[in-house]
Amino acid sequence: MAALVWFTMGIAIWHFTVFVPDRFRGGIVGAFLGAAAGAMVSGAAAQIAQDQGIGETDLATALYAVPGTLVGLAIVYAMGVRAGVEAEQL
Amino acid sequence: MANRRRNLFILSFVAALVVASVVVILSKPTVLGLDLEGGTELIYQGRPTPQNPEIQGDDMDRAIEIIRKRTDALGVAEPEISRIGEDSIRVGLPNVENAEQAIERVGQTAQLYLYDWEPNVIPNPALTNVSEGEASFPRYYDAVKLASQQEPECFEDECTTSGPSYYLFDEQTKEWIAGPAEDEADLLAQTDVADGKQPPNTEIITVPQGTLVVKKEGEGDQTAPEDPNAAQWFVIRDRPSLSGDEIKDPKQEYDPTTNEPNVTFDFTDSGREEFADVTQEIAQRGLQNAPPGVGGDVELASQYSGHFAIVLDDEIKSRPIINFVENPSGIDGRTGAQISGIGQLDDAQDLAEILQIGALPIDLTLISQSTVSATLGEEALDQGLKAGIVGLILVCLFLIAYYRFLGVVAVLGLGLYGVFLFALIKLIPITMTLPGIAGLILTIGVAADSNIIIFERIKEEVRAGRSLGSAVAAGYRKGIATIIDANVITLITAFILFALATAGVKGFAFVLGIGTIASLFTAVLFTQAFLGIFGRSRYVRSPALFGASEEQRVRWRFDFTRASRIFFSMSGVILLIGAISFATLQLNLGLDFESGSRVSVGLERDATVEEVRTALEGAGIEDAEITEASNDQLGPNVFEIDSQIEPDEVQRVQPALDEAFGIVPNGFNSTTVGPTFGEQVAESAIQAIIFSLLVICAYVAFRFEPKYAVPVIIALVHDILITGGVYSLTGREVTSGTVAAFLTILGYSMYDTIIVFDRVRENVPRLPRATFSQIVNRSMSEVLTRSLITGLSSVFLVTVLLIFGGTTLKDFAFAMMVGIASGTYSSIFIASPVLTHWKEREPAYRKRRERIQEQMGRVPAFPEENVIARLEGEPEPTAEERPAEPEPAEPARAATEPEPPERAPEPSPVPGVVPAPPGPVAPPPGPAERPQPVGAPSDREPRPGRPEGEPDGGDGQAEAERPELSEASAAALRRVREQQAGRRQRKRKKHGRPR
Repeated sequence: MAALVWFTMGIAIWHFTVFVPDRFRGGIVGAFLGAAAGAMVSGAAAQIAQDQGIGETDLATALYAVPGTLVGLAIVYAMGVRAGVEAEQL
Repeated sequence: MANRRRNLFILSFVAALVVASVVVILSKPTVLGLDLEGGTELIYQGRPTPQNPEIQGDDMDRAIEIIRKRTDALGVAEPEISRIGEDSIRVGLPNVENAEQAIERVGQTAQLYLYDWEPNVIPNPALTNVSEGEASFPRYYDAVKLASQQEPECFEDECTTSGPSYYLFDEQTKEWIAGPAEDEADLLAQTDVADGKQPPNTEIITVPQGTLVVKKEGEGDQTAPEDPNAAQWFVIRDRPSLSGDEIKDPKQEYDPTTNEPNVTFDFTDSGREEFADVTQEIAQRGLQNAPPGVGGDVELASQYSGHFAIVLDDEIKSRPIINFVENPSGIDGRTGAQISGIGQLDDAQDLAEILQIGALPIDLTLISQSTVSATLGEEALDQGLKAGIVGLILVCLFLIAYYRFLGVVAVLGLGLYGVFLFALIKLIPITMTLPGIAGLILTIGVAADSNIIIFERIKEEVRAGRSLGSAVAAGYRKGIATIIDANVITLITAFILFALATAGVKGFAFVLGIGTIASLFTAVLFTQAFLGIFGRSRYVRSPALFGASEEQRVRWRFDFTRASRIFFSMSGVILLIGAISFATLQLNLGLDFESGSRVSVGLERDATVEEVRTALEGAGIEDAEITEASNDQLGPNVFEIDSQIEPDEVQRVQPALDEAFGIVPNGFNSTTVGPTFGEQVAESAIQAIIFSLLVICAYVAFRFEPKYAVPVIIALVHDILITGGVYSLTGREVTSGTVAAFLTILGYSMYDTIIVFDRVRENVPRLPRATFSQIVNRSMSEVLTRSLITGLSSVFLVTVLLIFGGTTLKDFAFAMMVGIASGTYSSIFIASPVLTHWKEREPAYRKRRERIQEQMGRVPAFPEENVIARLEGEPEPTAEERPAEPEPAEPARAATEPEPPERAPEPSPVPGVVPAPPGPVAPPPGPAERPQPVGAPSDREPRPGRPEGEPDGGDGQAEAERPELSEASAAALRRVREQQAGRRQRKRKKHGRPR
């Protein structure tokens, strides 16, 4: 259940990347992957650090995914900038 | 003429099929599932035995054969016995009278072993006043504890267990909780604990291989015969002398001396020798143990003679004495042997029958049990049929109202579809279950949608000025690829569901698959042939009869791409709420996933919740949640009882309540799911979802291009998460039916997305100068009406299910309602914008966008507003600017048709220029109304009549001359015209000077 929470949180935040100039590596799909992966990693790390089982969830479980999602998005964005991806704003 | 012959042939074929179907319908019975007919469903999981350490396919087949013989012996008519997955067996017993007896008989392993008693029994050290062979344990815990202290051994490799056995006891009361099990995980799975953790205040005891704890013969509390705490026990060394494989011809007879019922049997050749050896050994040992002078006195000798124990499934059935005076050389076994002291005649008959049929080659554990009374089954069938009929009528009325003559044809097609499908259901035969009826009702929507896709095409062609006959031909030709793509998706979903899902959902999947194939036949072949013959009639020549008047009533003109920000934000917020809900409220997983029991019972006498609770506590069921319920079929005193009891314990509920309050006829319904089955259901659901996603996406990548598959996945993930979030927020129970509905949602959402993408694919080669967002906007505006109509017809069906369906159908309907809303939304506002964002990054589309931006100062929402590029006399797009497009539907013609030459623009006069407001507005002119480009071949078909993929100059002249332009475009157009006029004037002045 915790994994479902993190994934949903990551995907929810990803939806708001449409407001950012699209310089993500791989575009909107790259951002999707970055958000999902970041959410899962930070969620899992925080859950392990809190010594909570995968089935135990509360509000904090959802919040654990936020920093990871943002970091994941930032990494994919930085990769795009580094690769010289030009901003795309529809 | 050839077409007419073909159509007549199809109609004749259909007529013949109708006759055949009617014959089948009238002559064949409908096979109803247990949930509609009433009965008991048992699901067993096979476990290895020492003789079969690994379960093979043959073992499962043999087990099914033995179970079938046992159910036949019970007198059950038409039992349904089938294998589920690798190691489970489903047993359906329609209208079985004694469910308890059936459950006990069907799953009994019936492993018979014969033991030389005295050398193998380990006496209770606390009992010193009885002989060692009689020193049993009054408490199960003490027997198991002593057994656990023995050394592991497996004498001559003849142990009856493959390893140690595990037991769970209450640490305080020492009462038995679970076991024996082959490992700790299995042991804990027998309890109600979550996460496989050992319950607090309990003790796990491990009995090593080679030692058994067996129940003393004739033991057990009569009120709770299955309660191990109420019996006496022996501890024995597991060294059997013979097994059940070495006996034959068991029969129920009567003991000639006592006239009590017994079971006699013979031995096989090898068994006879073994039996002779072991009885001789027992006799000789008795003689050695007897004091001198006993010889000759049979009565006295019996006190010193040894015993021979017959043990069936860890319960001693008989312990006859081998009297050394009567049989000094043992018993040679030629006259067979007998099991006496069995008790009642019924018990003896049952035992004989069990031994006749033989032992199961594997251990079977009951992991799920469900009992539905015939009354509730009948009610469910009524509800399902009512929902189906009302749904069908509503869809028919809607189709006729919207499509008029075409609607009548569609209704004819739906009627035929219903006849064919019903005949197929009877012919195959398909066992109809409640989920199957849900699938049936949903296929009505699928069948209707095939017609909707084609009819929308026909209407487009009619509005474009084609004759009705050619519009019908073109409509079917253009719509068929879309329909096949969309139906293949549905078939894939149905196939994966059928292959991976659990029994109830299989029925749903099978009906969905068969229905989809039947709908392709009736909705495409029949209606096309019918329209081909009757559509040319002079009575149906008015476009209004086709619901296609000259002006389209609703035409969508909306910048979907730009609006995607708003919709993305909406989805983001909804998912944020969903994530928080998942975290805090979680999902209310039903019995199928969590395990436990649910009983619905109608009582004859008034009772309160507390009185029911007291009655249940008397039967040892203490954790029950009891609520009063209402069900007209079960009378005025209906209770629902939820409890965490095991499948084989639920049978204690019925006698307890019957004794206390009386149960109305057919008033007991129960569903019990063990933890193992819950895990299987959850696993199969996850597998089905993942496989569906992968296979469907592979199909989309193959039919379109790989980039089209990714937005499809994102949209599906979006749908699943939103539907899950709604379930979490509303606290509705998630059952295996919900999973089936989830998977159908995947198919539905895919279906919808495919329709949109198909139009995008078709428009890409037609608009070689347009940006991808413009192509998507144009495509969406063309198919939105169809999406809404399809959604609406599906909503009719789902609403009917919600109103008329019983609990199971409502469960489907709720998930479908949320899914349809989410699926329609995501295909328009998630999948297409994601595809747009991704495709716009391709160099060719980037260049197009830059060019239009540079020339117009902005990128219009629709390609027909790209006026400036043409006015500036832009050349045709270069090869670099042309992206690698997916294959159009008819690529050959598209590739060979020449593009019309460019020409100087002759835009419409300014009064024809109208702004393009967002939302539905007055329609732009149909393709036929557009002026043809100068230089186009004079014999060329009007544009809409051309096959798909045929270029029309792209957003070239035809687009340029469209009268509806935004104000900005019109202003830009005026500026360019003024500049051009100025340039022409200057040229004339320059060259027109007198020579």
